[in-house]
Amino acid sequence: MSGAVDQVLADLKVFLRTIQKPGKALDSVGTDEPLVASGLLDSLAIMQVVVYLEENYGIDFAANGFDPDRLASMGGIVALIEQERA
Amino acid sequence: MFLDLQTGNLAEPISGRAWDRADVVREVALRVGRLRALGLARGDRVFLPFGNRLEFFAELLAVWSLGGCAVPIDARLTAFEVSTLVAAAVPRLAVVDDATDAAVLAALAGSGVLVVQTADTGSTLASAGLSRLDDDALILFTSGSTGAPKGVLHTHRSLRARWIALREQLGVDDFARSLCMLPTHFGHGLICNCLFPWLSGQDLFITPPFRPDIIMRLGKLLDDNRITFMSSVPSVWKLALKLSKPPQAATLRRVHVGSAPLSAALWEDVRSWTGTRQVCNTYGITETGSWVVGLANADVPAQDGLVGFGWGAVVRVLRTCVTSAPLTAQAECAVGEPGYVWLNTPALMKGYFQRDDLTAAAVIDGWFFTGDIGILDAHGQLVLKGRERDEINKGGMKIYPADIDAVVERFAHASDVCSFALEDDIYGQVVGIAVVLADAQDATVRALYAWMRSHLAEPKMPARWWRVDEIPRTSRGKINREAVKTACAGQTPLDLVAILSAAPTA
Repeated sequence: MSGAVDQVLADLKVFLRTIQKPGKALDSVGTDEPLVASGLLDSLAIMQVVVYLEENYGIDFAANGFDPDRLASMGGIVALIEQERA
Repeated sequence: MFLDLQTGNLAEPISGRAWDRADVVREVALRVGRLRALGLARGDRVFLPFGNRLEFFAELLAVWSLGGCAVPIDARLTAFEVSTLVAAAVPRLAVVDDATDAAVLAALAGSGVLVVQTADTGSTLASAGLSRLDDDALILFTSGSTGAPKGVLHTHRSLRARWIALREQLGVDDFARSLCMLPTHFGHGLICNCLFPWLSGQDLFITPPFRPDIIMRLGKLLDDNRITFMSSVPSVWKLALKLSKPPQAATLRRVHVGSAPLSAALWEDVRSWTGTRQVCNTYGITETGSWVVGLANADVPAQDGLVGFGWGAVVRVLRTCVTSAPLTAQAECAVGEPGYVWLNTPALMKGYFQRDDLTAAAVIDGWFFTGDIGILDAHGQLVLKGRERDEINKGGMKIYPADIDAVVERFAHASDVCSFALEDDIYGQVVGIAVVLADAQDATVRALYAWMRSHLAEPKMPARWWRVDEIPRTSRGKINREAVKTACAGQTPLDLVAILSAAPTA
């Protein structure tokens, strides 16, 4: 990963820590593990991830359409951010 | 079949499984044969701790055919909560599925309840028609899973009264292909979204409840299955409007929203997204068979809190909130004057199961005290303004603070507790909790979290925690949850993630 991508992931983890379920350690969830199925996030918390991406990276889901699988893991979210930046 | 002469077809659009009417008849007959062989008798209660799949509906009709009473249970309840409900309802048996938690299975067996897998039908086909109108048909537990359960008991007569009222108000044509994304252990999802159309011969499409990945593809789901009707809750719409492409096929004819009224702005957004003007709030109270007030013609200007006219019910707004004295016309509020919402309907529950005390506190002379605040406008329409019921509405799921408090009160190192509703952009409300602990050690917080997690279904777990020195009470010793919430708002909540990360509990 490049330094920029590392920073995106680090920022994402800081955010996820504010919305995660308390009983699961963030560090125990792999980059490509599903965020909801792993028990880190409540299912509807994905909405907060969307708001985070809109506010911090200007991603317009209403305009671009949306594939829920792309928000399933931290790796997927970082890839989405990188694609939007490209 | 329990309302009309045949059910509709039944489908799981996510899994792709489906039963046509002939399949339904056969699957019910297999289960009648199996339940009869197991000795199910008229009046026996049957727990159904699973739902939102084809087999659930076959089990329900089989139980009813034999004169039994079905008790759908939230599949997410802990073994402790299920045991509490078993002690209250004393079921003859429980029908489970392959996803039922092992601890729940052990709790059922440990309580002497005969457990049978829904897939284990045997091969004996049987039919029966033993239900009578005034038999107990359905118990829906709305609270008390951690202490004193409160179960809404409906008879076949009260359920039919609800369905026939809906049929007279709305017809069945708009419900030709109905989608249910709501849990089947709630009145809204089960009685109205599922059973009203399906038992009227219309087709039912059932999905797992509240699954964001499904909601995000809602438009395609509607198109692929040519859905004509669906009901949901505001939090689902917030997600769908933001993340799902709208349907393109214009098949939707009618949309209901329950559990909490839409704001006027969200109401118009849903209309725009769905492509139909026939979108309305439905005022659903489990005790009255759910949808009891709404708009038969929903093409009206959107308005905050507007729900409409009684459906098979007389709606009154009164100044009184007590059931200890007969109601009088003098208590009636003037047009536009806020007061307590009361309902009079033949769809009213028989009562709270074995809780005459609770029934007496909610019902007088057939009038039901809802606990909601509203007005009747100049047209006679009900407009909801708030509620005084002690509950937290988390994305349409009603959570009762007393249930959470009851668990914490049994924790050895907690001396006082108060849980309360916190406003939330996504869910509408989430749970907050203030607790007085014996010490300030993080280990005690971790132990309390583990204790609560083993006793409470996950959706009831608090989102934010405050450790406080005392819980303020009124001079009569009662907790004012709003006052506790206000006091906590000025304090920093616990960093539960950090506390639990220091020594993970599970």
